[in-house]
Amino acid sequence: MKRNIIKLINVRIWILAIAACLAVQAASAQVRPPLSFNFNYSIAQPLGSVKDYSDKTSFRGWQAGLQYMLNDQLGVGLKSGFQDFYYRAPRAVYPTKSGDISAVQTRTLQVIPVLATVQYQFTKPDAIVIPYASLGVGVANMNYEKYWGMFVDKDNSWQFMASPEIGINIPFGKASPLLFNASVQYNYSPYKLAEITNFSTVQGNIGLRWHIN
Amino acid sequence: MKTGKKNFTIVSVRTMFFMGAIAAAAAILSLGSCRKDPLNDMTEEESQIYITNRDTTANFSSYTTFSIVDSVAVASNGDTARRALTDYDKQLIAAVKSAMQSRGYTLVDKAAKPNLAINLTRIDETFASTYYDPGYWSGWGGYWDPFYWGYPGLGYYWPSYYTVYTRERAVSVDLLDLQHAAEDKEVKVVWNAMFRGSGVWSTSYISNMVNGAFGQSTYLKK
Repeated sequence: MKRNIIKLINVRIWILAIAACLAVQAASAQVRPPLSFNFNYSIAQPLGSVKDYSDKTSFRGWQAGLQYMLNDQLGVGLKSGFQDFYYRAPRAVYPTKSGDISAVQTRTLQVIPVLATVQYQFTKPDAIVIPYASLGVGVANMNYEKYWGMFVDKDNSWQFMASPEIGINIPFGKASPLLFNASVQYNYSPYKLAEITNFSTVQGNIGLRWHIN
Repeated sequence: MKTGKKNFTIVSVRTMFFMGAIAAAAAILSLGSCRKDPLNDMTEEESQIYITNRDTTANFSSYTTFSIVDSVAVASNGDTARRALTDYDKQLIAAVKSAMQSRGYTLVDKAAKPNLAINLTRIDETFASTYYDPGYWSGWGGYWDPFYWGYPGLGYYWPSYYTVYTRERAVSVDLLDLQHAAEDKEVKVVWNAMFRGSGVWSTSYISNMVNGAFGQSTYLKK
């Protein structure tokens, strides 16, 4: 009788152990659904000629994207966003062809990128912290508005853009579909207009990624 | 049981897509409002620009005397000519006069054959929907015409630097070369200052505008 009970317990332990193993295997095969959506708040610092044009860090920006994981570590996606650069230069005299213009200049630039992305995650999806690197390539809408007092010089155009990015995802719980995201990206575009000889900024993002399906 | 579970899955995915869509829509809607409006917090002073242009062939130190109009022409919404002498106009005449004197030029009566003449014009095109060129306020009889300066029959020569604009109030200061008018057979505008922006017709900005225009035109001196 006693032997039988021990035998039964042993069997139960075996079953539990096997079930646990299977569960772990299943979990590592797919910790969270492959399709995810992310939304981030963005801060951007202009560099180079953009800094000369509008020398002020932009705190008005956001970024959103969709991504599909092809396997545990490689994903492809699409991302967009918005960043507003704004700087008001105190009154100064600007030379023209046959004279000068004295003006308070308000120099603005609004950027809306539309980029295809490839992302590689350096750890398996069940890690506590998932560092990654990604590259976005696509186009950006550049809206240039330079105000001379209340009079504006305007230009709106599309231009090529490339954005390498490194960041981390931190899941809220081991298999949670919701992840905290923080990243730093560099944006480059061969955009040329007036005083801007190319577009180059460093951008910090913070937000959430959500695996939806 | 199986069906029920499937339904549950569909609902939760739908809910998540729905919430995602809301977030995306909110993001797109906020696109416009994310932007800082440059005109929103702009003061009148900040809105004003002082544009100066000159005839690059003119030798400004070769002139000695000048004269200035006794009132200000008002070119208003394509209307017929009118001259005015409001407080603003008096202060504008005085400010330009003293700025010229401080640059070494001697004020004389227009009958004394001055080398330079100064026309002052207030332009009001706030209700006109068409843009126009400066010939519009200069060439028409009733505005400052060469006859006023003793050169009947001659036309003004307007350099190509004059900008075209619309729907605003502006003030124009034109410096005319009378010294060479007879030989050139035209009255050349050798220097122009244009004040544009809000409040340029207000007395509080006259000294700022006139000092600004002369300050950025260091070549304009005897």
